Amino acid sequence: MISRILLATLITCSFAARLAASPEEAQKRLKTAVNEVLAVADRVANRANMAESLRPTLQKHISFETMTRRAVGLGWKTFTPAQQKQAIQLFSTLIIRSYSSKFTPGEYPVINYQKAQTPATGRVDVPTSMVYKGSRYSVTYRMEQESGWRIADVVIEGVSLVANYRSQLDAQYKKGGAEAVLGSLAQSVSRPQ
Amino acid sequence: MKIIVLRLMLSGAVALAAACSTTRSPKVVADSKPEAAESGATKAAPEAQAGTDELDDYAEPSVSDPLESFNRVMFKTNDCLYLVIFRPISKGYELAFPKPVRKGIDNAFENVKYPVRFVNCALQGKFKRAGQETGKFLVNTLGGVGGIFRVSDKVPDLANIPAEDLGQTLAKWGVGHGPFIVLPLFGPSSARETVGLAGDYALNPVNWGLFFRGGGGDLAKDWTMIPPSANTLRSLPEQLEIYDAATKDAVDPYISARSAFIQNRAEATRK
Repeated sequence: MISRILLATLITCSFAARLAASPEEAQKRLKTAVNEVLAVADRVANRANMAESLRPTLQKHISFETMTRRAVGLGWKTFTPAQQKQAIQLFSTLIIRSYSSKFTPGEYPVINYQKAQTPATGRVDVPTSMVYKGSRYSVTYRMEQESGWRIADVVIEGVSLVANYRSQLDAQYKKGGAEAVLGSLAQSVSRPQ
Repeated sequence: MKIIVLRLMLSGAVALAAACSTTRSPKVVADSKPEAAESGATKAAPEAQAGTDELDDYAEPSVSDPLESFNRVMFKTNDCLYLVIFRPISKGYELAFPKPVRKGIDNAFENVKYPVRFVNCALQGKFKRAGQETGKFLVNTLGGVGGIFRVSDKVPDLANIPAEDLGQTLAKWGVGHGPFIVLPLFGPSSARETVGLAGDYALNPVNWGLFFRGGGGDLAKDWTMIPPSANTLRSLPEQLEIYDAATKDAVDPYISARSAFIQNRAEATRK
């Protein structure tokens, strides 16, 4: 009897684990994230407060640590833990600010989610077609599983956010290592909008 | 000029150019100009090891940029020109014409560009897509009051056709980017895309008046400037928005625009 219960539990756990790792689950998670972000953005009366209002929601659904690591690239291993923490903090501030500036109160995107793809284990790409402010965009969300599905990159019209910063930070790293990367990020963050 | 802005949009500026293999290679950055040799190299970076590490997932595709010094100067010059000349013009246009009117104008100009899309579909052997483009043109011209209303969006088969251009055609034929170059006013480009730009310009009916302005007085010749000038004007707001998207929060706006341009053109060719 006990062995049957154990077996049933194992099967249930295995099924649940597979479901959690499925592309459908990643897509569901993405839809939740997008809806939450739009709901928060819709409540923000003053556009100047948009970035700070969206920050908690974005930090919940976007893996800024993964993004920063990949944007820095191979040089990441030479960063001290304190430098890594600072880089993540600066990079996330930059991305949140950039992302938040795209929202115009009263404008709502129409998003058509297409079939999710699995380029590698633990990774799911969700292509979407988005119509925003009268223009159509192709946007792919790259999701990764790390304590739940989280957004690890956004590709707009073929332009990967992470790859774009990677090309810039790579050049900085070659100039002066971690300090140059941190300096350039700090400079960008402090630039007036 | 209109084309300038268009390319800039996704690239952050506009373009033509270099042997840009889309192969991801960790050597790429080392191949492009040695920035460390330039000013600002305060401290040598520790050697980062290339390999199959996931950190290497986003190594930049190879970009040939032998003209980087010139390109950076041109990039700055363009940025100033956008700020001083084109942004005020764009703002004025946006103030003068409400958004629905601007949308209709954009639709009409894009509709007229049908020969660019049709010819390049055909040159790439995409005959089904060429047929769809023809259908879209007819539907919008006849049902959308000369293309002012994009009624084709309501027809699923015609709603989202990737626009073909000569740069993509050349890429399909195996022509590499060649060197990356920042064109005056037009912005980021490459040798290949510059040729494409010129070809598309010639195929666009709004520019045809410039090629056939033979006889007639000066007044008749002046009229030929109106369609291309209007085309440039109407595309300014969107192009500047794209340029800003690629450069505003960048660590290095020049590299950001270059990367966005190369990535975007690779994606356009894949579609």
